[in-house]
Parts: sequence; C-alpha cells; structure tokens
Amino acid sequence: MDNFELICPAGTPAALRAAVDAGADAVYLGFRDETNARNFPGLNFTRQDVADAVDYAHARRVEVYVAINTYPQAGNLGPWRKAVDDAARLKVDAVILADPGLLDYAAKRHPDLRLHLSVQASAANVEAIRLYREAFGVRRVVLPRVLTVPEIARLNAEIDIETEVFVFGGLCPMAEGRCSLSSYATGLSPNKQGVCSPANHVRYEQRGGALASTLGGFTINVFGEGEQAGYPTLCKGRFVAGEGPAYLFEEPTSLNAMDLLPELKAAGVRALKIEGRQRGKAYIAAVVRAYREALETFAAGRPVPHIDLQAMVEGGTQTTGAYTRAWR
Amino acid sequence: MRDPDAAQTVSVCNSPAGERARRFETGLSRAGLGLVPRLGRRASDALLARLLRLLADCHPRAFEALREMPDARVLIEPVDAPVALLMRVGPEMSLHALPRGADGVGEALGKAGADAVVRGPYDKLLDLLEGRIDGDALFFRRELSISGDTALILALRNTLDGEDEMDLVADAASIAGPLARALPVLRRNAGPVLDRIDAARRLLPPPLRRGIERLEARLGGTAGTPPGGLPGKLPGMGA
Repeated sequence: MDNFELICPAGTPAALRAAVDAGADAVYLGFRDETNARNFPGLNFTRQDVADAVDYAHARRVEVYVAINTYPQAGNLGPWRKAVDDAARLKVDAVILADPGLLDYAAKRHPDLRLHLSVQASAANVEAIRLYREAFGVRRVVLPRVLTVPEIARLNAEIDIETEVFVFGGLCPMAEGRCSLSSYATGLSPNKQGVCSPANHVRYEQRGGALASTLGGFTINVFGEGEQAGYPTLCKGRFVAGEGPAYLFEEPTSLNAMDLLPELKAAGVRALKIEGRQRGKAYIAAVVRAYREALETFAAGRPVPHIDLQAMVEGGTQTTGAYTRAWR
Repeated sequence: MRDPDAAQTVSVCNSPAGERARRFETGLSRAGLGLVPRLGRRASDALLARLLRLLADCHPRAFEALREMPDARVLIEPVDAPVALLMRVGPEMSLHALPRGADGVGEALGKAGADAVVRGPYDKLLDLLEGRIDGDALFFRRELSISGDTALILALRNTLDGEDEMDLVADAASIAGPLARALPVLRRNAGPVLDRIDAARRLLPPPLRRGIERLEARLGGTAGTPPGGLPGKLPGMGA
C-alpha cells in the first residue's frame, strides 16, 4: 500500500531542519514578504535560506514546496511574479498558489514547475478543481477544511489530480481565501497581506486572573483564570449575543485527524498536511515525529496508535473538524 | 520521496536522568543569574555585554536580525527568580539584569519602562529562549504571559527559534572558563548523582528535609514568590 505523503510546515530554517529530521516527506515554507499567508514578524525565508533549505532537504530525499498563496494586489504584481520566478530558479519541487492570474503566469513562464492549488483558493467542488487542472495544469489541490470524509471520497472519484488535506493544527472555519474578518478589525487580511490578526494590532491584558485579548482595539476574548487560551482571531472570538458570551463561529481548538487515517486513505487522499508555519521548531519536531510514527504503523497494517499531542493544541481541545460532521 | 534511513535526530532531554540533569542545570543557572546584580551595575552590565558578544558570535544570523529590528526594550521576567532581564534590540543592542524589589522590578526598570514584557517560570522561559519548547503551546496553557507590543515579542521569539541549537547555559558558562570545562561532565553525571541524593534525602528526618528545601528555595530565589503568582503590571510599560 502506498503510504500518504506527509507535508510539514516550516517558518524558519531551523524549523525546516527539524521537520526533515523528524520524518517529513515534504516541507512547505514562504518567502519573507506578503506573498505568503503567514507573513509574521521574524518568520519566513530569504532567497538564500530557500536555496540552503532545498540543499538540506534534497540531500535527504525530502521535497520543498513554496507557498505563494496570497492574492496579488492590483497594479502591484511584481512581488508575486518574482516569488514564482525565484522559486523556479531555486529548484523547489512545487509552488502552492491560489490566484488564477498567478497560476496562469506560472504555467506559461515555468511549464516544468509543479503547481499545487492552495487551500486559500477554496476549491471544494469537482467543477472548480477541473477548471484549475485544465486551465493551468495544477497537479494537486489542497482541500479547504469544510468537507466531510465522504464528500472527499466522492470528490476524489470524479477528479484526476491528487488531493491533500490538513490533519493537524489551527483551524480556519470560514471559506479560506474569502474571509475578511481580520480586515474588518485591522485593515489587513490573510488574503492580501498574508496576516490574519496581525501582531501589531494584537494586545493582551491581565484583568485580575483573567486574560483579555484585543484586536484592533476590540476585545475579542476574555479567558478566565486557568482557562486555556487561543489565538486572537475574530473567528474564535467570544462575543455577547443573546443570553451571554459565547463562541459564535468556532471555539479555540486544534484539528487532529490522526484517528481518521484509514478513512482518509479509503477516500483516496494522497497527502496529509500539518498546519503551523508560525509555530516553534519544538512543535514541528513533536507533531511531525508523531505523525511519522502513526503513518509507519498504519502502512504496516497495524492499528493507528494513539499519540498524545494534547500539549501542543490551541485552547486545550482537539477536534476532527468538518471531516466527521455535517458542518460548514 | 523521503529517505527512510534519514536520521531521526530530534530529541530533547527525554530520558528521566536527562530531565533531572536539566532541572538541576536550570536551578543552577537561575541562582547564577540571581548573583549578577550583586556585582554592581557596571560589572554586571559588562558581564552581560560579554555574554551578548559571545552569543552573537555563536548565532550571527539571529543577532544580525535582532540588530536590524527597530530600537525597542523587552523585559524578560521570570516570576520565580530574583532578577529580570531587560533586552534592548535594534542597532544598540544590550542586556541588563534588574533585581526584583518589593514592587517587582518596577523600580529597577525606571520610567523608560519596556515596550513589551514576557513573564513565566524561569525554566519555561529558558526552554523557550533555547527553542526547546513551543511558545504558542506555553501561551495556550497560560504558563507564559505577554503584554505590550505583541509584534516585538513575536519577532524576538521567531528570530531566536530560527536558530538550530541555542545553549544559553553552556554559552554563559563559557565566560567562566573552568565552569565551561566542567559543564559536559556535570551534564553527563548530574542525573544519576541527583537520583542518589534524592534517595538519601528521603531517609532524613522531616525537619532537616524541610530545612534543606528552604535553603534551596533561597538559593534559587524562589522564597516568598507566590506559587504561580504573576506580579502586577509594571509602571512605565509602553503599549
């Protein structure tokens, strides 16, 4: 049985080496600018860093993908096209793109460059995926985290390109690439500037034993004493509506689909993705190592082991997300 | 595809003896840090400047990035140590030790304050600075608290985490020549030796055992610190 490919995040060169050494099949990363959706302070790779990363990974038969998955701004295509050109020049194994214009540019300018469709493109149906395949030669689609496993199986039965799904890490409950919540509060969004809840708009305050998180001056959550905290994103904010404060969109929680490996394999999924380019190398080493162990065990025909990753998760809770519920 | 024979090298003191040795080493370094302000302002600043130069030599990529950051001051405050560290990033990088007084480190910090503050237990902060533990996970569990300029803290964290191996205890020990030579031996042997000491301690009469624990707390600078208690907001902290 062909094993899944394990696609792992890296926000720094040290994190890349941690991912490779812990068992990644491929590592995805971004340049140090607004062309990728994790444009956070102190994070990401210079061109030279990417060259070194490719050398390190390829020497160990691990692939490197570059995410160029924000949407170019009108009249300012330069940084995005240069990112594609540089990725091709640096001999990365694939680029992960979302914008149709950029996909068209990459397909025409670099016909040998493997194209993956980012989750930011939010392609969740057969027609959309076929269009990207036929128009740009996309070889793999990263599915948005809104589909159930049976829906993924039906999708795979009707398309002839590889699918990649998230199995661990932070959840984006909205249709990815179309969410403007961060933009409402700060003027900056993951789609254009590569930042959801940009750090320079985030503040934390101790209120007695409670911890308040604010975004753009708006209080979006207050964690009680001893309550586990989450990321300061509006989709996971706790708001007063009706009878009292409640999570209106989604609770702070992390995806963990390790128990679903048999179902995802039966559904025809080719690659499993771990979220977290913004996380430290200790997280990456621990999560990649755990998933590598689970995949090796599964490939050997043994039951998927239970590996404790509780210490790594947001809000202290884990979920199988949309994979096991009829949820959008 | 991935080479199945690739070395699985990621492991962080995951044996019981290794963890004990790490705890001992952490306690020792915390006690050492507590002694720094007793040298006087000028001598302690000189010592910490030397440590910074040494770290910059060992980690040129990270320190170049820290120097390129806008001028800002980050207070790193272990809640269970007698001293906090004020790190200035930007072109005029520096490091200062601030002794904790009755009101925390507010008096030592002065009116200039800090642009951002990171607080947490000393061992967690050390693990974080050395990249042994994930900062987001600590934050989720409320073991780490941050205030002030979040972007500054994130930039500092990401820059330091981008280093492969940051061994602050070994780097600090290398300033004191003989200690640097002793450290590898200490690390190899501390776990089993501490296990034997603990076994012997369990045989002591309770009053004597409690006396030793009080002495250890004083040496480690934890005496009088409320368990898990974080000091209040610092005066003069920029936001």
